[in-house]
Amino acid sequence: MEYKVLKATITKEFQVRLRAYPISFMVGCILTSFYTTFGAWLMYHYFFRGQLSDSFTGLTGTSDYMSYAIVGSLMYLFVVRTCLNVSRTLMTELWEGTLESLMLAPFRRVAYFLGNMLLQTITTFGETAIAAIIGVVFGLRIHEFNLIEFVVAVLISLYCFFGVSLILGCVMLYTRNTYITQNTLFTAMFLVCGITFPKEYLPFGLKVLGSIIPVTDCVSIMRASLLGGMPQAQVVKLAIKALAVGTVYIAMGMPLMKHAERIALEKMEG
Amino acid sequence: MIEVRNLKKTYDVKRRDGLFKSHREKVEAVKDISMRIEAGQIVGLLGINGAGKTTTIKMLTTLIEPTAGSYSFDGLDAIAHPTEVKKQINMIAGGERMIYWRLTAYENLWYYGQLYGIENVILKQRIEKLLKLVGLEDKANIPVETFSKGMKQRLQIARGMINDPKYIFLDEPTIGLDAVVTQELHEEIMNLAKKQEKGILLTSHYLSEVEQLCDYIYLVNNGELIVEGTKRKLTDFVFLRNQYAFSTKGMDEGIYLKLKNHIGFVDKDADVSFEGGKTLITSKVELSSKLAEFALDEKLTINELHKMEPSLEQAVIKLSKEMQKEKMA
Amino acid sequence: MKYFLKVVWAEAVKQHRNYFNNWTIYISLFIWPLFSFLSAYYSYSAFDVDGTLISYINGKNILVFLMLGYMAMSFFRSVVQSAWNFSRERQSGTLEYIYLSTANRLAVLMGNALSSVFESAIVMLVFGMLIIISNRDSINVNTISLGIVLIIFIAMALLWGVFLNACFLYSRDTDFLFTILEEPMEIFAGVKVPIMIFPAWAKIVSFIFPLTYVLEALRQVMLNDASVSSLSNILFACIGIIIVLLSATLFTIGIVEKHMRKTGNVVLF
Repeated sequence: MEYKVLKATITKEFQVRLRAYPISFMVGCILTSFYTTFGAWLMYHYFFRGQLSDSFTGLTGTSDYMSYAIVGSLMYLFVVRTCLNVSRTLMTELWEGTLESLMLAPFRRVAYFLGNMLLQTITTFGETAIAAIIGVVFGLRIHEFNLIEFVVAVLISLYCFFGVSLILGCVMLYTRNTYITQNTLFTAMFLVCGITFPKEYLPFGLKVLGSIIPVTDCVSIMRASLLGGMPQAQVVKLAIKALAVGTVYIAMGMPLMKHAERIALEKMEG
Repeated sequence: MIEVRNLKKTYDVKRRDGLFKSHREKVEAVKDISMRIEAGQIVGLLGINGAGKTTTIKMLTTLIEPTAGSYSFDGLDAIAHPTEVKKQINMIAGGERMIYWRLTAYENLWYYGQLYGIENVILKQRIEKLLKLVGLEDKANIPVETFSKGMKQRLQIARGMINDPKYIFLDEPTIGLDAVVTQELHEEIMNLAKKQEKGILLTSHYLSEVEQLCDYIYLVNNGELIVEGTKRKLTDFVFLRNQYAFSTKGMDEGIYLKLKNHIGFVDKDADVSFEGGKTLITSKVELSSKLAEFALDEKLTINELHKMEPSLEQAVIKLSKEMQKEKMA
Repeated sequence: MKYFLKVVWAEAVKQHRNYFNNWTIYISLFIWPLFSFLSAYYSYSAFDVDGTLISYINGKNILVFLMLGYMAMSFFRSVVQSAWNFSRERQSGTLEYIYLSTANRLAVLMGNALSSVFESAIVMLVFGMLIIISNRDSINVNTISLGIVLIIFIAMALLWGVFLNACFLYSRDTDFLFTILEEPMEIFAGVKVPIMIFPAWAKIVSFIFPLTYVLEALRQVMLNDASVSSLSNILFACIGIIIVLLSATLFTIGIVEKHMRKTGNVVLF
């Protein structure tokens, strides 16, 4: 049963995407990543002429700003794409009027979302790979590649991003708004999750916000696996923390989602 | 007077075959329609879904341009002068969208009034008059989202009259409404034509609605006129065709053929068929007693003898067949 | 003319009632540019700010420099989500009634932009003013030039809104439009990095965005006491762009109306 739902979701989503989404959709995502990278590049090479502040290396363990920022922006691309699709799926169903019939079918939500997520992961890997090639042009260099850390980073990231998507999906269903909700969350993540600068620069309140969004730790682990500069014990500590926070998100997201769906349908009737 | 002749609309549709491939296709939404609407008259445009009603209405409202044909609006060439036409027409569609739900009834009407450039003093009076006309004067300052379906539909009517149009196009105005509201709406529409001398075109796929309201009726199918005429003329054609379902215990092919023969004596034009153990008959003649007689004569026990209201689908199918026969002849 | 203004006003009022119908919308429209602003500001911390090449930027006024950028951008950017909202009128059927009326189409687009441009940016504007006032010792304003630049700024923001409204209303793939017209603005229009230091090819890209010119003028008059004559090139460019935007919009409206009458569909591209 679970497997069937999973398979059906993947097939359906794949068909919808193939028919309704032109290539421009993918181009758009890669461009988004390009703009971020390009912005960092301009800032570093042209605006400040390669002069980093004294605190940067101490905080990040690297003096390669471009690699630091590009890994951050690739991870950002990954989380945005995942969230965008998984969270928006139900909203799309609501708009197209298929949510009601979906809810009538007695399937498990987890399988439905996992199906979406799996398909999205495959597409996103492709997009991120292309964005990474652009990153190399702008100065992305792998300094100390650690395969085990990398695999751990990918798996934990997928787990955590799924949790974040669930919560975002609830907010969207509840507010019945995708545009403002998603962009506010994305810009917030860009600010507090250490995407292009270490979160230590932020004031206290924002730093706390950054540490309760698991994306922050995922970005740090990914950086450690590619650029090094972080002791193994620290990586393990971050991984455990991300796992725990991600679990909290998923544990909260599932029941919340059910609640939000019900409210969404009630609102639709009224 | 509105008069269109040989209207035709062909769409060039792009069909997607795959991620990169697509091809173009010509779709004939309307093949050949000629009609006429006069002030004070309610004209019905009747047809099943996809018959070309909406495309016809969009051409008449100048929203789309016909591929071929002529359109004269009070003597003016409407295809060349859409803006002049727009001043004197409006459209009311069924369904609840088409108005701003977060605005109040008054605000909706005010907004559309401004789009027509109506002087504020006149507009204010007109809105009040219209709200009263559709019975929403107490709800003027309440957001539309709290309205019931019927209230939203009544607001649509007020909106459709905001520019005091000479001609009104009603596109399936009663779709999804219950019987009471529908009845109210029908009275409203009668009022518009008979008391206010508006020319009205009404599309519908409900036979009874058209029968009740329209002075003159056009029946379309597949983008073509099948038949037109006054209500009286069409009554013969469409409305008075009775449909019977008849079955007896142990009904088989043999009994059916006998029955068919029997009916042929009474009405040689009757349409008789045998489906799923039942005989289905369409006829202009009242057949209930004849069928009962048949069962009695043949000593059969009646399982079912059922008279049905004529449906539009059947009328269309039947008339299309007759048209084709006529053409062949 | 009176009819034109009536339609502009009616559309602005409708948009206000229909979309800006509660205070949370103002707040959420503020939070988003605020976060972008903060991200840019804190990412500067990774660098040695006094090492920049731009003469009139220093560690003291960089906050105002950035604030001006994000404030100005919020005017140009705000229109997107409401334009996107406006494009939903296609599905809800109300657009058809607008087309059924005799109203001037440009007036409708303009009324919509008027409401969205100013209402979306209002909280950011107030916030920006507060930041600037509290840092007033770091600015160097030329008041007369500022007045002129502001008028041009408003005209441009409004027409950019009208132009985007037209694009969104008549396009199927609005996400893509957003990616090519909106996202790069932050980088290429010089919001967080001044365009003067751009490599040549990036400078050429930046000339596409109207915000580039008017933002440069705004910063010059706010931070560098620039006179009108010293800005004449930029200001002429701005007026040129205003004309281009207006003609492009009128041209699009004309084509769309024709296209719609032919196909029964307002979606053009």
